[in-house]
Amino acid sequence: MKLRRDHLSIDPEKCTGCRRCMIACAMKHHNRIDPDFSCVDVIGFAAQDLDVPVICLACETAPCIKVCPMNARIRQASGSVVTDTDVCIGCRACVYICPVGSPRINPATGQTMTCDLCADETEPWCVAACRQERALTLCTDGAASKPAARRAAARTLAGSPRY
Amino acid sequence: MKLVIIGNGIAGNQVAFDVRKKDRDAHITILSAETVPEYDPCSLPYFLGGECGRTDVFRKTPEDYTTHNIDLVYDSRVVSIDPEAKTVTTHGGGQISYDKLVLAHGGDLFIPPIPGIDNPGVFSCKQLAETEKLAAHNGSSAVVIGSGAIGIEAAEALKRKGYAVHVVELMDWILPSLFDEPTARRLETALKGYGIHVFTGEKVLEIKGTGEVSAVVTNLRTIACDTVVVATGVVPGTALARTAGIDTGRGIQVNRQMQTSVPDIYACGDCVETIDACTGETAMFQLKHNAIEQAQVAARHIVGEKTRYLGAYAFARAHFFSTHAATFGKTQRATDCILGDKRVIEREDKNNYLRVMLLNNQIVGGQAIGTFADGLGLLIGAMWRKDDFMEIAAKVRTTPRGGAVHTWPMLRLGNLLGM
Repeated sequence: MKLRRDHLSIDPEKCTGCRRCMIACAMKHHNRIDPDFSCVDVIGFAAQDLDVPVICLACETAPCIKVCPMNARIRQASGSVVTDTDVCIGCRACVYICPVGSPRINPATGQTMTCDLCADETEPWCVAACRQERALTLCTDGAASKPAARRAAARTLAGSPRY
Repeated sequence: MKLVIIGNGIAGNQVAFDVRKKDRDAHITILSAETVPEYDPCSLPYFLGGECGRTDVFRKTPEDYTTHNIDLVYDSRVVSIDPEAKTVTTHGGGQISYDKLVLAHGGDLFIPPIPGIDNPGVFSCKQLAETEKLAAHNGSSAVVIGSGAIGIEAAEALKRKGYAVHVVELMDWILPSLFDEPTARRLETALKGYGIHVFTGEKVLEIKGTGEVSAVVTNLRTIACDTVVVATGVVPGTALARTAGIDTGRGIQVNRQMQTSVPDIYACGDCVETIDACTGETAMFQLKHNAIEQAQVAARHIVGEKTRYLGAYAFARAHFFSTHAATFGKTQRATDCILGDKRVIEREDKNNYLRVMLLNNQIVGGQAIGTFADGLGLLIGAMWRKDDFMEIAAKVRTTPRGGAVHTWPMLRLGNLLGM
């Protein structure tokens, strides 16, 4: 079974916590250098010295689409799920139901924002910003099958039987 | 195949459009008691408060039905079902035959038997027509009877419109089915901070006034007002099913394929009684996401696919002005009648509050206000997976520096729970 359309592949093992992806995302979508405006959230665990980039994974059965009271969470043709800023009232239901807590709050409007895979670009800006570390990479449709992804995960020893 | 759907709500439309996606030839009819296309009842308080326009409330336009070749019949309430002859009768006397019937008429607003409840100054906020009446009403002081999610959202909306708002709750604290007392008290304080008066543990005895409301009398006080909003909950509409000989409990009883006890009749949405996905208990969560999932299962089974409903889950949010709160799973009160090793984890930091209920070291429910709520999805995941709390604590303790990045969800849970 092929994975659904384009998606970002996240390899937290390679993440160094530089947060360039956050800056790139804020520059692309809000034209400013402020990590608070980024759709990417790099979570740092200081005690364990780990960094994990959290991005909307556009779940196949996305719960945020179902719980949004304004029906503002919309699945786009590219496969990504984005917030319709015309109707979002900033109730944050999508943040609370998200299994990874990925939607972020736009500090200026209070509405939520998630990754749209930079739909109008050849490559998402966060992926371009992470070219050296390759913690974030773009998998296009057909580029990765689920078994192949599984085998790759097993090779990095990062695969856990539970997650 | 002739598919008839009773009810033009979220569940009914989901069934109709899902079946149409898979079956181009099916003859699909939706019988609606109202006169508008599908709208979202969850949006209505925001329409009332002026946060969104009337068009944003709708999930479908009349054109959607014509392009998908779905017959939407307005203003036809079904009064009886004949499972032998496979026909339904509408209140106008018309008979419609079906091959498969879906009951998705949802719930009815519970109207408490209070003297004066039929006063024209008494409104509700569950249906669009009623909400429009309330939005068009000119008043200055309102009493909201009941403090469920709809009641609190309606109170916020009226406050935004400039009303003086009073919330009267019969139970000991607001949002009684969603939150425990410590969480609810904090929300109550926040509501009062926005200028909304909250009276808990009070019973409304009478609505005074003829032609228009002049006051609401409770067992403790008299509140002068010109508007009353009834938000005392929704009861599943089981009467229609019961008269047709379909098994009902609190709601219409269905199996894992959303079939009722009568062949070729399905039920989904607010009117059914389902099981809790995590505990397997009989449960009724009249929430939008459950209605959508049940309708998807029903639609798949109608077109002949193999499918199984996993169960409903409780997740709700309470949001007013800049206060955000969310809840999932069981409240502490709901776990009181279960035997087992129970524990409550509480965290507090300024206005933020987190409360997680553990039963036999497994997360069974939680409530959060403010920033703690942002990680609530992780707790919901832990509840679904039945993660062992001690195991999470051990992982947080033993993960070495720079190692084992796959433990990050547990580390994040540990950070959230303050371990």
